[in-house]
Amino acid sequence: MAAEVSRSPVSQAADPLRDGTLPVLPALRDGTLPVLPALRELLPRGGLARGSVVTVAEFGLLILALAAGASADGAWCGIAGVPEAGMLAAAGLGLDAERTLLVPDPGHAWPQVVASLLDGCELVLLRPPAQAPAQVRQRLEATLRRGRGVLLVVGDWPGAQVRLRILTQGWTGLGDGHGRLRACCAQVTADGRGEAAVTRTRWLWLPAEDGNVSAAEPPDIPVPERHLQVVRAG
Amino acid sequence: MSAPEPRVMVLYCPGLAGPRTARAFDQVLTAVTAFCPAVEAVEPGVCAFGARGPARYFGGETALAARITAAIADLGVESQAGVADGLFAAYLAARAVGAPRADTASGICPVLVIPPGRTPEFLARQPVSVLARQPVSALAGQDAAGDLAGQDFAALLSRLGLHTLGDLAALSPDDVASRFGAAGETAHRLARGLGSRPLAVRPPAEDLSVAQEFDPPEPLSEPVVFAAKALAERMHEGLAARGLTCVRVQVRAVCADGRENRRLWRHDGLLSAAALADRVRWQLDGWQVPAPPVGTIDGTTGSTPDGTTDGGIVVLRLVPDQVVHATGHQLALWGETVVSDRVARAAMRVQAMLGHEAVLRPVLGGGRDVAEQVNDVPFGEKRQPRLAVGAPWPGRIMGAVPGVVYPFAREADVTDDAGDAVTVTGRCVISAAPAWLAADGVPPLRITGWAGPWPLSERWWDPAAARRRARFQLLTDDGRAWLAAVQDGRWLIEGGYC
Repeated sequence: MAAEVSRSPVSQAADPLRDGTLPVLPALRDGTLPVLPALRELLPRGGLARGSVVTVAEFGLLILALAAGASADGAWCGIAGVPEAGMLAAAGLGLDAERTLLVPDPGHAWPQVVASLLDGCELVLLRPPAQAPAQVRQRLEATLRRGRGVLLVVGDWPGAQVRLRILTQGWTGLGDGHGRLRACCAQVTADGRGEAAVTRTRWLWLPAEDGNVSAAEPPDIPVPERHLQVVRAG
Repeated sequence: MSAPEPRVMVLYCPGLAGPRTARAFDQVLTAVTAFCPAVEAVEPGVCAFGARGPARYFGGETALAARITAAIADLGVESQAGVADGLFAAYLAARAVGAPRADTASGICPVLVIPPGRTPEFLARQPVSVLARQPVSALAGQDAAGDLAGQDFAALLSRLGLHTLGDLAALSPDDVASRFGAAGETAHRLARGLGSRPLAVRPPAEDLSVAQEFDPPEPLSEPVVFAAKALAERMHEGLAARGLTCVRVQVRAVCADGRENRRLWRHDGLLSAAALADRVRWQLDGWQVPAPPVGTIDGTTGSTPDGTTDGGIVVLRLVPDQVVHATGHQLALWGETVVSDRVARAAMRVQAMLGHEAVLRPVLGGGRDVAEQVNDVPFGEKRQPRLAVGAPWPGRIMGAVPGVVYPFAREADVTDDAGDAVTVTGRCVISAAPAWLAADGVPPLRITGWAGPWPLSERWWDPAAARRRARFQLLTDDGRAWLAAVQDGRWLIEGGYC
């Protein structure tokens, strides 16, 4: 537990104002799963609140990056319904393949599969094969609160505490017949309910050239002119 | 004078005379046990048993041998049988069947029966070189017999003009003993048809499985699971009393309507009786999971909504699989993530619902393509990468790794500005700059950047695994990037960088 505290955002020597978040009480910090440092500013408590549902619009590096922080910290992560999850990229972001369970095809009994996975894993990444009826959602959320885990959902989940999506992204390094993909700069926005109601938007290197996720400084953002205009306007 | 040698039948399987075929030979032994329960495995590919009793039951030695070789032929194994007085002669007879001998061939059946009392005659015709064969010293069963195994002894006899065992047997025992010592004495006794050691038969394999019958059939799974706990305790006691444990355990449940559900569970000597009962519960749960459009979450009670299981369960049987000596269990010290009970229970519950292959753990390994660098291993099995991690793997695409890797590459159409398909020649020359990417009927995306082709030609020596492909990275105007490849003239989207 001591290790987790020392790694959490506000206990680091950096001042909390720079993080852009309010100082978090230690008691509350216990109620979150850690995320990668660059993603902390997007989440209301600087981490994934236990017992909550977080959605990401599309499956990709963003949701894998969300899971990576907790996995690197020792949590088991279950991935259900995503046969195309790129585990090599996920491992590059910090997701520990040793502590990952894959259920590529949970089938029609997916609510039971997810409930079972939540019994064993603190983090479950799910793309529901079908739109979940309200009753099934509520029962899964009850299981979630009981087990104090976090459910990351690809797609829509009414009642999710936090919703993230990528507004725009641009890759660097690729020319017209030469070069190779090096890094991607993505504009990520988060909103949600309750304490997450304030919309937060950040530019991230997802991934940076070294394979990690880091915050992008405005001068570096290599996005075509029209995107830069949008940012100024917003 | 020693007692007459007993009638012995030796079965020789030429195809199984190696250490790697031990499992197949074990099946042969089991097949032979059906005819004669006390069998000795002399060496890989050779087994022996007393022929007198079974031969009387099955109507003669030839008939017995014919039945046994036929039963073994059903296993796909070729075998030869020999019957004689004593183990040594029977072994030589079994080996001699392969050689075509007009005077002893008995039909098409690969059997050579030396009639009682005529063994010395048969032996007398054998060359002395048979003494140099590998298992002969084991057949003699004497301490000094180790000397027999050497090629030297047989060669020495040949040089002295003793070409057959008959020549050796004709000498007086005292002369042989004084000239050749203990080894010579052993060889002399064997040559006269004496001195084979008695058979050391293995006891028939014990049935370590345990079963419980339910009369009347038990419709609810809860009582079955309760009985399973007691059954598991009985099985563990039975194994522990013999100093054994099992790698896996098979749970079989038979329904009143005759259907049987069987599944193997990893055991490794680690499961308690309660944990094994849990496996039974999950298995029964998984069996009864109906196929409604949307299931319910609480699958903890082990019955269908109407509380029945197709007439109920009549028999529950636990069968230990791959029984091994219990050598204790050492937890991993480091380098291996210990799977906590909580995670294992969750994973196995899902396996019980969807099957063993449905819950996977990724293993990162070596390889040139992103797809082959990740091997998915079913939960509970050994995690080992298919390709070595440490090797350099030239030809890998460096830099960013795609976050989306399709299990089956998606077919795509890539065209140039003129609308013609972009092709790549065998020398990796591209026909035109790719301009449009279309896949799965989605409106074509404008390609704003690309790189490649990066050729890959691997495993040309193995026709099944050989591949030649040219890889590209494509950037489309929606801001996404793709990993594409051209193989056999077709464009494939292997993954997406997003």
